[in-house]
Amino acid sequence: MNPPSSFAEFAERHRSDILRYLVRLLGNEPDAQDACQDAFLHAQRAFARLTPDSNERAWLYRIATNGALNAIRRRSRLAGRTVEVDLDTLPASVSASAEQRQELRAVADAVQTLPPRQRAALMLRQFHDMNYGEIAATVGGNQATARANVYQAIKKLRAALGGTR
Amino acid sequence: MKPHDDELIAMLIGEAKPSIDLQRWLDSDRGQRELAEYRRALNGLHRLYGNVAGAMAPRAAYYDSITTPIGRVFVATTETGLVRVSFHQSESAFASDLRQQLGTDVVKSAAKTKAVVHQIRDYFAGRRRAFDLQTDLSHVTPFQRRVLLATAQVPPGRVVSYGDIAKRIGRPRGSRAVGQALGHNPIPIVIPCHRIVAAGGKLGGYTGGLTIKKKLLRLEGALAANA
Repeated sequence: MNPPSSFAEFAERHRSDILRYLVRLLGNEPDAQDACQDAFLHAQRAFARLTPDSNERAWLYRIATNGALNAIRRRSRLAGRTVEVDLDTLPASVSASAEQRQELRAVADAVQTLPPRQRAALMLRQFHDMNYGEIAATVGGNQATARANVYQAIKKLRAALGGTR
Repeated sequence: MKPHDDELIAMLIGEAKPSIDLQRWLDSDRGQRELAEYRRALNGLHRLYGNVAGAMAPRAAYYDSITTPIGRVFVATTETGLVRVSFHQSESAFASDLRQQLGTDVVKSAAKTKAVVHQIRDYFAGRRRAFDLQTDLSHVTPFQRRVLLATAQVPPGRVVSYGDIAKRIGRPRGSRAVGQALGHNPIPIVIPCHRIVAAGGKLGGYTGGLTIKKKLLRLEGALAANA
């Protein structure tokens, strides 16, 4: 991909993917919209320092991840829980039956209990086409911890959800 | 205690092929059960978090159908652009899939779909070769979007291989992943996945069936009329 010529072009190119990532991390749309706005404000201030050969995508995801992890920490101090999944803001529940909704709720509850870094690594691997090097650059740690985070998250989901039905 | 978990996860998320050892274990009752449990968990994750696009200002999708030489074709568009082309589907199945996948209201509208209907009609009549339409690819993964955008560059009358597309997007060994991404092309015909074929001149697969792939390639002159 060519380097972006302006911040507006850069933001346009990545905004929808970052917003989706934040919805996956934070579990609901309003929080994700806030975090997305913060991430782009932060990115705009630092954009001038982005060198042409740096990985702009990983850089932006790192900013978004740090912001989201901070928001999660704040929230857990206030409410004693990390993510507040609001099914009504997620499209999967729009035409779901009562029974399907119950299943989606169980998924949300299971994801809600994952440690934030595990959740971030899982979402980046499953939905954002990142390899473990990129995940490490985004979330921190090295490739081995990135992979371990993804695998741990999947094992926990299986323990929580594998037996239902 | 559970020596197969990591290998099983690697297989399920497409990072490694199963070893002989794992395959043998998967044939056992225990293996079957654990596989089913992991699948259930991952399916749940994908159902809830796969498509979160509705989180961006919910919009409506508008659809209509066109009668063509390959049967009834449904098309749908959002305010952003063309979002679906589908064949072999009933109207109710098309509309309900669309509602579920996009998380938007779905409305039948000849007015909103006029441009795409017109261009597809012209295409099948031989009056148009290339499409000039805005597309909405906000509901696909970044990888799939790269594959689809590279595919859109292949001109009518030409075919290239899955491997060629893999090279063009910088994943020279990703031809299988490219094939999978194209198997889920949300806007076939307009994004010409029928122009992507297997190596060695074989046609490869097509979601709509090989008969349709051949018809489209014949129409574009990439395949002889009697092939």
